[in-house]
Amino acid sequence: MTMVGTESEARVERPIRAARANGGRLWWLAVPAALIFIVFFVIPVASLFGLSFNKSVAGVIGLSSQFTLDNFIRIFTRATYYEAILRSIWVSAIVSTASLLFGYPLAYVIAKTVNPGRNTLLMIMVLSAMQLDMVIRMFGLMVLLGDNGLINGFLLYTGLVSQPLPLMYNTFGVIVGLVQITLPFMVLSLIGIIKAIHPSLEEAARALGASRIQAFFSIVLPLSMPGILAGTLLVFALSISSYVVPALMGGWKVMVLPIHIYQQIAEVGRWQFGAAIAVVLFVTSIIAVAIYHQAAIRTSGGRT
Amino acid sequence: MSDIHLKKLTKSYGGHLAVAGINLHIAEGEFFSLLGPSGCGKSTTLRMIAGFVQPTSGEIIIGADDVTSLPPEKRDIGIVFQNYAIFPHMNVADNIAFGLKLRKRPRDEIRRRVTDALRQVGLSGYEERYQRELSGGEQQRVALARVLVTEPRILLLDEPLSALDKSLREEMKYWIKDLQKKLGITTVYVTHDQDEALTMSDRIGVMQKAQVVQVGTPQEIYEAPKTLFVTTFIGHSNVMDVIVGSGSGSDMTVLIDGNPVPTRGPENLVPGQPVKLVVRPENVVIGPDQETPVRLPATVLSETYQGSLIRYRLSLGGQEIIAERQNQSGNERFNPGTPVTVGWDPGRSEALVA
Repeated sequence: MTMVGTESEARVERPIRAARANGGRLWWLAVPAALIFIVFFVIPVASLFGLSFNKSVAGVIGLSSQFTLDNFIRIFTRATYYEAILRSIWVSAIVSTASLLFGYPLAYVIAKTVNPGRNTLLMIMVLSAMQLDMVIRMFGLMVLLGDNGLINGFLLYTGLVSQPLPLMYNTFGVIVGLVQITLPFMVLSLIGIIKAIHPSLEEAARALGASRIQAFFSIVLPLSMPGILAGTLLVFALSISSYVVPALMGGWKVMVLPIHIYQQIAEVGRWQFGAAIAVVLFVTSIIAVAIYHQAAIRTSGGRT
Repeated sequence: MSDIHLKKLTKSYGGHLAVAGINLHIAEGEFFSLLGPSGCGKSTTLRMIAGFVQPTSGEIIIGADDVTSLPPEKRDIGIVFQNYAIFPHMNVADNIAFGLKLRKRPRDEIRRRVTDALRQVGLSGYEERYQRELSGGEQQRVALARVLVTEPRILLLDEPLSALDKSLREEMKYWIKDLQKKLGITTVYVTHDQDEALTMSDRIGVMQKAQVVQVGTPQEIYEAPKTLFVTTFIGHSNVMDVIVGSGSGSDMTVLIDGNPVPTRGPENLVPGQPVKLVVRPENVVIGPDQETPVRLPATVLSETYQGSLIRYRLSLGGQEIIAERQNQSGNERFNPGTPVTVGWDPGRSEALVA
């Protein structure tokens, strides 16, 4: 066939030409956002990180040129702090996994719903979960999960338990709170990707002899990998950096890194040490994300 | 290899009939096309045979098995989609091996059969390529190889050529037909393109409004259409308003401008009844010296040059008809306004009740 060569050449050439046009004329559209990003994010965060290399003095915020690693040595030699690093990582990992397990089926149903009315209704349900402030939603969870909450009240009333179950002010409560907060982000990351998988791919697999479940695991799930990757990374980042949820649902008993940062800066006034924990949190989360990303790319055969 | 029986097959979506009780028998080894405009129910019929759509009522029998309630994976069918549905996360070899792996064939047998299948579709050496590295025609061949390697009982093709450009479509048309003849596999081909249906099929079932309105060989469908819809959907036709002169069936006349014109038509017609007379443009001959049984006076309205053909618009008894003439050297040309005699073979005309 003589068609082949010309067709694939045309396909390769077009994106290059488009990219050149974009790079040439459209870059200045990014300037306003880049300015805001630099002034209100890069500069404050960079100065906070700079602070972490100063000697810790309560109540002093000014940057000085005296360089020290004392704060970091303290973090990695005291169990309270390095255990908090590990706790932050595994809590976020569990939240990501739980969010994926709960979110995927919902995203799948929404993606496969063709009826526009029903589809909108499902989307509104997902988005409405994001309308209320996080703190208010956590108070709602307390009504449900507290020692005198609805669940324990019911269990005690029916005599299924004699003591209230410890559902909050512990790691379990923090995880429930974080899953509640992050679930919509997971679902939204997945819907578009699942929608983009053409139904005929699943049908082709079925006709070739795959059961519904085999077709899902051999076709739909591998093709969802980009969404799964994006969703879990987003949820991981939201969870590891969350302060409000561990504070309210953990009752200051679940010591993750953001709680330590808040305590050091807001309660003890040691900005330098708080900043050092922030640097560790930032680097930890980047390393965890990079490792996960690499692993995911390897298992999905390079397509993400 | 199996034949297919569809018995009173019906699909309704909330009161709307997509397929209204069709009966069809597709013989073993036959290339059968379902031809019709979009929304006529041809795709729904194919998807019911494949098992993706559950019929509201009726039966689907493949070979000796009633498959009506079986899921697609238990029907032993092969289907090629309009978009080919090549799995984008697998290379060509894994795509083709997909069905064999599910059938738990030994690894070296799979490798051998994948190689054979690729050779059969003329894509040897394409094993490592991915979907994004294949042209439309190549994807089509991979989709066919992937299906044929599992040796299905029947092959279903859902508008497989409509996504290709014109020259490639021509090429693939004959290629698919040859492959089908070589394998002798029972094939159901869904298309809205009458050209594809006429060239490729052993028989065609023309569908209109959820029903099969005529089944026959391409020649029967083209030359002896049973309804006005079939005659206008397949090729071009002149449709003239006439009234019955005498008789009915194969021995009848209609009146054009008061002149009795022999033709064939349906039974049970009454003289004076209004009917439509259908003649294909290529069967209308022009010229004062034509010796045809039907000879009528007409006037040339316009002449259009179309390369191998010259197309004339003519006025015949106040109605407009089209005549197509081969553009051969020596053939006389007629200018607009010229009075001419037109005629046709009565066996090539058809009276139809509207």
